[in-house]
Amino acid sequence: MSRSRKDPRTERATHRVEGSIRPRFDLAAAPAATGRPRRDRRAEERLALVPGTVRRRLDRTQRVAAVGALPAPTTPAVETPPRLRTIPEPACLVAVVPDAPGGRLTPHDRQLFGAARLLADANGGAVLALVESWSDELAIAGADRVLPIPASGYDPEAKALALLSVLDGLAVRHVLFPESADGGDLARRLAALSGEALFAGAESLSAKAVTRAAQGRRIEQRRAPPRLISLATDAVAPHAGTLHEALPVEFAFPEPTAGAILSAEYIPADPAKVSLAEADFVTSAGNGVTDFEVFRALVAALGATPGASRMVCDAGLMPRAAQVGASGTVLEARCYFALGIAGAPQHLQGVARCEHVVAVNTDLHAAMIERAGLAIVADAQEVMPALLRLIAEEKRG
Amino acid sequence: MRIAVLLSAGRHRVSAHPAPVPVELQAIRLAAELGGEAFGLHAGPAIGPLHDTLGHGLPRLTHLRLAENDDPAPSLADALREGAFDLVLAGRSGQGGEDAGLLPYALARTLGLPIVADAVALAEGPQPGTLRVEQALPRGARRRLVIRLPALVTVHPAAPAPLPFAFAAARRGDVETRPGIAAACAPSEMEERPYRPRPKLIAKAAGGASAAERLKAATESASGGGKLLVEPTPDNAARAILAHLREIGVLA
Amino acid sequence: MTNAAPGLSLVILALALMAAAMMVRRARLWRIGRPASVDWLAGLMALPKRYLVDVHHVVGRDPYAARMHALAAGGLLGGSVLALLALVPPLGGLRLVWAIVALAFAVAFIGGTMVGRRRLPVRPARLSGGRFQRLPFLLAAYSGGALLVALDATLGGILGPLAWAGLALAAAGGLGLVLQIDRGPMRHAFAGAAHLVAHPRPSRFEGQRATALLPLDLDSPRLGVATPADFAFNRLIGFDACIQCGRCEVACPAFAAGQPLNPKRLIQDLAASLQPGATNAAYAGSPYPHAREVAGVGGPERPIVGAGAMIHPDTLWSCTTCRACVEECPMMIEHVDAIVELRRFQTLELGATPPKAAAPLVEMRYADEPGGRPLKARTDFAAGLTLPLISATGKAEVLLWLGEGAYELRYGRTLRALVTLLQKAGVDFAVLGEEERDCGDLARRLGDEATFQRLTRENVATLARYAFGRILTADPHALHVLRNEYRPFGGDYEVVHHTAFLDELVAAGRLPVATLRDVSATYHDPCYLGRYNGETDAPRRLLDRLGLQRLEMERSGKRSMCCGGGGGAPVSDIEGDHRIPDLRMNQAAATGAAIVAVACPQCSAMLEGVTGERPAVHDIAELVLMAVETAASRQAEAVA
Repeated sequence: MSRSRKDPRTERATHRVEGSIRPRFDLAAAPAATGRPRRDRRAEERLALVPGTVRRRLDRTQRVAAVGALPAPTTPAVETPPRLRTIPEPACLVAVVPDAPGGRLTPHDRQLFGAARLLADANGGAVLALVESWSDELAIAGADRVLPIPASGYDPEAKALALLSVLDGLAVRHVLFPESADGGDLARRLAALSGEALFAGAESLSAKAVTRAAQGRRIEQRRAPPRLISLATDAVAPHAGTLHEALPVEFAFPEPTAGAILSAEYIPADPAKVSLAEADFVTSAGNGVTDFEVFRALVAALGATPGASRMVCDAGLMPRAAQVGASGTVLEARCYFALGIAGAPQHLQGVARCEHVVAVNTDLHAAMIERAGLAIVADAQEVMPALLRLIAEEKRG
Repeated sequence: MRIAVLLSAGRHRVSAHPAPVPVELQAIRLAAELGGEAFGLHAGPAIGPLHDTLGHGLPRLTHLRLAENDDPAPSLADALREGAFDLVLAGRSGQGGEDAGLLPYALARTLGLPIVADAVALAEGPQPGTLRVEQALPRGARRRLVIRLPALVTVHPAAPAPLPFAFAAARRGDVETRPGIAAACAPSEMEERPYRPRPKLIAKAAGGASAAERLKAATESASGGGKLLVEPTPDNAARAILAHLREIGVLA
Repeated sequence: MTNAAPGLSLVILALALMAAAMMVRRARLWRIGRPASVDWLAGLMALPKRYLVDVHHVVGRDPYAARMHALAAGGLLGGSVLALLALVPPLGGLRLVWAIVALAFAVAFIGGTMVGRRRLPVRPARLSGGRFQRLPFLLAAYSGGALLVALDATLGGILGPLAWAGLALAAAGGLGLVLQIDRGPMRHAFAGAAHLVAHPRPSRFEGQRATALLPLDLDSPRLGVATPADFAFNRLIGFDACIQCGRCEVACPAFAAGQPLNPKRLIQDLAASLQPGATNAAYAGSPYPHAREVAGVGGPERPIVGAGAMIHPDTLWSCTTCRACVEECPMMIEHVDAIVELRRFQTLELGATPPKAAAPLVEMRYADEPGGRPLKARTDFAAGLTLPLISATGKAEVLLWLGEGAYELRYGRTLRALVTLLQKAGVDFAVLGEEERDCGDLARRLGDEATFQRLTRENVATLARYAFGRILTADPHALHVLRNEYRPFGGDYEVVHHTAFLDELVAAGRLPVATLRDVSATYHDPCYLGRYNGETDAPRRLLDRLGLQRLEMERSGKRSMCCGGGGGAPVSDIEGDHRIPDLRMNQAAATGAAIVAVACPQCSAMLEGVTGERPAVHDIAELVLMAVETAASRQAEAVA
């Protein structure tokens, strides 16, 4: 029983014709399935039934299960190309200096463009992207103009000097930086070079005001947006809706001078070696894992950092340093993948700050299943080889 | 090598009691392990619990006494110039002022020193007068730099934990107090009020999404749960997991 | 009569002189220690009682050993002294005297044989080998030889040459024993007596528990103990008193868990390092489990702790300060005091705290709380209950001290149960709320005396502002610190543990309880309640009032085994083969009880951390609440 649930509003929304100001609906078009199966209350109750008790006991803390259903394959909605918006005569420029590692915008960078659009649109200005190289992503992200900055290797001081010359040479009303490792560094260099104040780590931004935390997050400072702003992550939504020109701009940069950095070498994080506290993606084994060879192979294939529950570490199957939890390491990871871990309270404390949790466990009533964003009630011992197989297949083609 | 460690008047993140800033204690450790003479430097009205930094591996500390609300930058710049240090270490972001992390950059600019951010490890460089710096990048990546000294380096919280506190060492440590340079802070254009945490933006509900989608995204994350599969075949489970990992962006 | 008998007396005289010289030589080593105030006269007067009552109370736990010791030591001393007396002219000629001498040596011989029977053919693991393994032969030679001589003298010389052979045997055996005074097993005899006279905690012999750590003067030039010379001299005597019986090693939870601590070896390393140019080579007992590599060299002015010294730091940090070793020690040695004094130097002078233990100490310094949590969140567990603050009224009959457990979800349930019970019984109680700082127990056990003393002064000042009759707490660690360790800082309180308090309430009929039939429980004594404060009866009485079936574990009461949660051991986190709570839980499961009743937040956390099939863990307060609620519902049924 997993018929699709009807949602008239969503269904109507799927008929909407994009790109017009007044809502228009083309009801003749084939409606896409909303993909949400109908709830089967009886099956849900069956799952909530706690086994092994004489009296019938339901564990209602379990969230509603999509009984037996796989996530419906989301059919890609027919995308109408977003409307192109041009700003031929901008009143001013709002510059954005994204991190763009390897030329690709990070989600934080896109939020930066969202903020820049907000400021530019309020002042009849255009968004100027200051990047190392032009890419078509910039148009979607919301850049009207693109100015490539000369860069050779890692020399933030040279980059800051180049930015300073842009600041002096063009009518730049605001410069936005991501409050990230490199972006934050660059923003402060520019602030020191220009002698202007930097509004560091803005946590909210509108055309009228920006705010930030100060004095150990005890007070909030607020003012009209100044020229130099660095933006905290997840503070402003990325731009969406319109496409922009991303017109290359010419600019004569001054000759760079040799800096104090004699050599720089980038060392990518080795997930196998990075400390658990710094790891981004941790895959962890608990009591439900017996074959540690397969577990280690899976960790390597996923590019994750290995972790383990206390039981596993106590048994000497994984090193003590791999222990996740209150008595081991408290994680800051973005994703925690728990294989065969029921989730003792001490263990859950260790993953409290993880954004996403994926759990595989045989016990539907395990705390880890409840905590997980994707919970799979299955034997981890069987899921691991299937995952390995699937990853290998995908690699082959 | 003469190393100065800049110390700011921190507060404990929960109790708000005056306390040393952890990342500055980590800087002291880096200085201690690099060898050479380390000096603590603080400019402010009182030294307070910064005296405890002497128990974390710092042998001596200079306190530049300032009036309340004075700008510490001129005093620090003066002391750094006078001390002729080879290396100046600071926390990634000091405390007590605006917590903007601007001071090290302003000092570097004033003193004409190069600045490198986010060090987690320091070692002697290949040639005399150079320093190897390992820089922390997001998600455990690193960048190894060789820089020319003298320089100013800020320290990242991923650096090794501070040396444990030794009460007797703090008792023995030297504190020299001398008047700093009175310099009023530039008047702030900031409006200030008690901090209140703002809800973080939910990545899924990006701008342009419909109200219904935003609501869905908001309620989903509030209820903590997403999908639940009961007894799928291992292959289905594997497919669901990979799809999910890609969706949240941890897997390429 | 042959001439062998006077010969024996002369030999014994010579041996006694030699022994005295060796004792003096050893005793001179003790003078390197720091001075300590010792009431020598009172100690000497009390020696017979301390020895015959207090020492034998401990020795008597092993009846075989008690008999063995009484026979061997009594016979040896009695026979030797009498034989010496025989040098006085009229006595030496009396056959009766020699008959008594013979009897004494016969007794000693039996004792010596018992020593041998215990060690041969297979030596139990807890006993030391080496010199100790030669002890039965030396005892047998000395007492057997002397027996022959004395018999000969008694019977008028009929043994002839056999008596001379006996004399030679006695001389050889006696020489062997005397040579053992310096470093061997015989050292314990005179050092033990001196230790009993000059014991650093004389009130132990006056019926007090005397378990409080002694305050450290934070202005002294060196904080804690780095070298043997930093110990007070009477502590050094204590180390020399060790007879290596290994009872401490059997009792030590860290040793059982395979952590690198063996209290016997620790005391031996300390005793060995007294000697200039000392090494640990002579030790022949069980090693530290998974012993860390150390150089094993020392001396009066050389450091004790470190990889280049006698004792590895991991050994110090493995200790849970449970005092099981002290409780079991027949020589009344204070192991825990020694460990804490060594830790104090590591923490205060060197800053050599284990990495994970440094964080809670920092939090305690700047947030008054080892977890760095807000003090006002301590009462969060009581959401929905009314928790009166003492600051509102300024006084209460009972001040409820919440302790660290209040922050923990699991223990919050216990405290909720306790608060509910107090309300049901109509007790006038209040809490300090955000004025309650950590009691400082963890800081003190980790050697951070500076933080302990600061927290103590601030807590004493807070408590001085309010009027209350008693302090009630569910945390035995807080109880011990508040009751016993705040006194030198001006904090003198009547502190009661919740088990004793609930027992009072139930006994007085203020809490009507139903009998919990068909429930079996075993009570796990918290070290800081049972061993440190001697409270083992009230919790059991209370459990019995609930009518449940109470089973006892093999180790219980004052001889209970630690859960592994004390002394900062969980934060020091020294690796071993097993976890201590797993071992303890196995002992609890062996009783077949369905419930382990606990009375301490540490025990509760440690035992709850045990995974797999096991008895449920409930604090006694939760069980009492269960009984009170059952009573209420049964009454309601009866009315309906």
